[in-house]
Amino acid sequence: MHALFLAWQYLVFNKIRSLTLVACVTLIAVLPLSLEVLLDESERQLLSRAQSTPLLLGARGSALDLVMNALYFDDEVPELISMLAVDELLAMDLAEPVPLYTRFNARGFPIVGTTLDYFDFRGLKLAQGRQMAVLGEIVLGASVAESLNLKPGDNLLSSPQTVFDLAGIYPLKMKVVGVLERSHTPDDLAVFADVKTTWVIEGLGHGHQDVSQVTDETLIMQRSENGVVASPKLFQYNEITADNIDSFHFHGDAGEYPLTAVIVIPDDTRSSTILRGRYLEEAGMHQVVLPEKVIDGLLQNIFRIKNVLDAVIVLVGSATLLALVLVFALSLRLRQRELHTIFKLGCSRATITYLLAAEILIIGLIAAGLCAALLSVVDGYSSDLVRTLFIN
Amino acid sequence: MINIQSLEFHYPGNGFSLAIEQFDVAQGEKVAVIGPSGSGKTTLLNLAAGIIKSERGSLAVANTKIEQLSDAQRRDFRINNIGFVFQDFELIEYLNVMDNIIHPYRITRSLQLTPSVRQRAIQLAEKIGISDKLNRYANDLSQGEKQRVAICRALLPGPKLVFADEATGNLDPRNKDRILDLLFDNVAEHGATLLAVTHDHELLPRFDRVVDFLEFHTPGPA
Amino acid sequence: MKITIFALAGFFAMMAQFATAAVANERLRIYTVNYPLQYFAQRIAGDDAEVVFPAPGDIDPAFWKPDVQTVGAYQGADLILLNGANYAKWINRVSLPRRRLVNTSAGFAENYIDAGSGMAHSHGGGAAHAHAGIAFTTWLDFRQSLRQADSIRQAIIRKRPQLKAEVDKNFAMLESDLLALDAELKSIVSGTQNQALLASHPVYQYLARQYDVTLYSVMWEPDEFPDPSQWKKLENLARMNAAKWMLWEGTPAAESVEQLKRMGIGSIVFNPCANLPAQGDFLSVMKNNLAMLKQVF
Repeated sequence: MHALFLAWQYLVFNKIRSLTLVACVTLIAVLPLSLEVLLDESERQLLSRAQSTPLLLGARGSALDLVMNALYFDDEVPELISMLAVDELLAMDLAEPVPLYTRFNARGFPIVGTTLDYFDFRGLKLAQGRQMAVLGEIVLGASVAESLNLKPGDNLLSSPQTVFDLAGIYPLKMKVVGVLERSHTPDDLAVFADVKTTWVIEGLGHGHQDVSQVTDETLIMQRSENGVVASPKLFQYNEITADNIDSFHFHGDAGEYPLTAVIVIPDDTRSSTILRGRYLEEAGMHQVVLPEKVIDGLLQNIFRIKNVLDAVIVLVGSATLLALVLVFALSLRLRQRELHTIFKLGCSRATITYLLAAEILIIGLIAAGLCAALLSVVDGYSSDLVRTLFIN
Repeated sequence: MINIQSLEFHYPGNGFSLAIEQFDVAQGEKVAVIGPSGSGKTTLLNLAAGIIKSERGSLAVANTKIEQLSDAQRRDFRINNIGFVFQDFELIEYLNVMDNIIHPYRITRSLQLTPSVRQRAIQLAEKIGISDKLNRYANDLSQGEKQRVAICRALLPGPKLVFADEATGNLDPRNKDRILDLLFDNVAEHGATLLAVTHDHELLPRFDRVVDFLEFHTPGPA
Repeated sequence: MKITIFALAGFFAMMAQFATAAVANERLRIYTVNYPLQYFAQRIAGDDAEVVFPAPGDIDPAFWKPDVQTVGAYQGADLILLNGANYAKWINRVSLPRRRLVNTSAGFAENYIDAGSGMAHSHGGGAAHAHAGIAFTTWLDFRQSLRQADSIRQAIIRKRPQLKAEVDKNFAMLESDLLALDAELKSIVSGTQNQALLASHPVYQYLARQYDVTLYSVMWEPDEFPDPSQWKKLENLARMNAAKWMLWEGTPAAESVEQLKRMGIGSIVFNPCANLPAQGDFLSVMKNNLAMLKQVF
């Protein structure tokens, strides 16, 4: 106990040196452990999300891009498929499809165009408001609502694309009708719209004045008995309201409307196997992937990188420890006089060793305490940190 | 109290050697040892305190043959029987005055730090005149105050011998007298024997005996 | 100890079964987009389902727009029965759970009739697109209505397999009624292919095709007296095709009937029964329609 008291007094008297030592030791310990916590959490998040998604259908190409965009709403939009893929899937009568269209975003958050089935599938519940009912309505993930300070009744504008391109995507003012409960998944960071609303953003659907009622002839290019050709001057609504929703309609073949992916929920294991077999053909336009397998492969790579990081941390840590040992040795040299004095007073060399060991112990304990505190913070925020640092 | 006969010692490496044929100090005596620098006066104190061990000869302190003790025994003997007062005070800078005074009780198992020890330390500090500075740190004290703390530290365990190595060397003339008064009074009160190494000839008349180190010691080549 | 564990395990297993059974035994909640589908579904499901068609009784369901609360009610249904053939246009503007949607006419979608109605429009610079006008009163072909009913039967069984026996039994009775209607209509129009009829609205396309009835339609509202140009058009149609009878989808205005009479054209009401009838049900309304048709042929 005396050794601890004396050691504590010494450390407190030399605050800056002591704090520096504590900080160094804490950092050496916290870095690899935090990395371990974050990687464990990222593995858990990635895997659990992937495991809960039976199959994913998308354009043939990078399975990883497809999975990352469909499951984690990654910025990298994969090659598009069309609603035809959904029709083909339905015709097979082996699975239920949940379409996804994630091309657009609103104030930095991805707009996920889908159907109400998505919410049932992911078990998402509403915290405020109601579910989207009509075109133009959106439901926000918990983090989106918090970050943008939005609640049911507010509006959110989709972000324009290709601002200087006259043929670009123009913003649609969407109405927030609901906010989801926090799910601690990428769904917290998404803006959910009906897939038809995202097609309106795309320009495949729109609303405007009834062309047959238009009197301003500059809005009409050509009239005939069977049809009217409107000029580009005809104003198209950039907001869907109760007054103009009836004018909203879609042009073209619905089968060709774009999607980024389709979540495929097979009826049973046999159906899943059959489906995967049917899409194996290399020449086909579509691929069906097992998200769990894709993410597992990704995690294998991450762990390979982690091993390299671990080796680097070990090297850096060793160098830091050596530096700490040097600092300690130098401070011992500075304290030679004090140590000689207490030796002369009758202190044994063993007791001197205990005194020095007590200092190391105290520094170690404080560092351990700080490390534990920091780790508990990292652990507490790990799911958000992982989403921010690795997934988003 | 101290009996030295045919004592020989040398420091390996630098060639310094010490040879004392006969040297005695009686109990309760206040002896001053004078001599040129480097003559081995501090070495004599270190030998008598058991800090270093002689190679040959007999060295009895308080009837204990020091040369026959092991390192641990010499340490225990030292802390229980000898109080040190150094020229540079050698206080522990990160401890306050009170903790400096009771420091010997924290660095060895031979001395037990009890509430009564703390009480005695306060009383000793009052006597020596530093009881109002018990919470101050060494760097906040004047030279005289520091030496008072060192004296308290040396006397608290109730040693039979007090070794003062140039105890007034760093003090101004006014403080020298005061410190020496304190040392003499308290040594006498405790019934202890004082062996003081000093360069200060002005202080010599105050001692019972003054010993010129060169009279009984033949220093070897440095 | 072992006995306690087994007893507890057995207890919990029983509770789980009860819970599952309780959920499975809950009445199915079915929403439809028109009355015929409601009629079929209620007949097939019987007391095991609550079948709702929430549109007000005085409007044409094909042009009805539910409010947000009603859309919410649809979202909460176990099954949402659609007519198909682009009947309920509001479907394209709302969000409904796809897994619970049943397009009852998907089985014969390739046989939809292009109504060719509605003005097409396109936007300058792009290709011209016409709004596909598909005839949507699919149930007036009783063979088709039977297929729609069968689609409903299959959907109910998928949702509640334990109801199969009851559902099949109910369906058999409905099938018998629909086939009877089909046979009677065939018998009524048999040998009358050359007799042209007029129709107040283009809603009898499937009936005309299936039962080989020659029909020429105008766009008249039963409760509105047509303007002179409309009368002119009708007159030409009647004269060119020697049509002597007009089928009205609802009770026509008296003066319209009088005017037609003066033109030598009789009026009968053939109610498509898209909405809940003031009296009777789908079957009685159709029977009444056929009785009316007997006057014509």
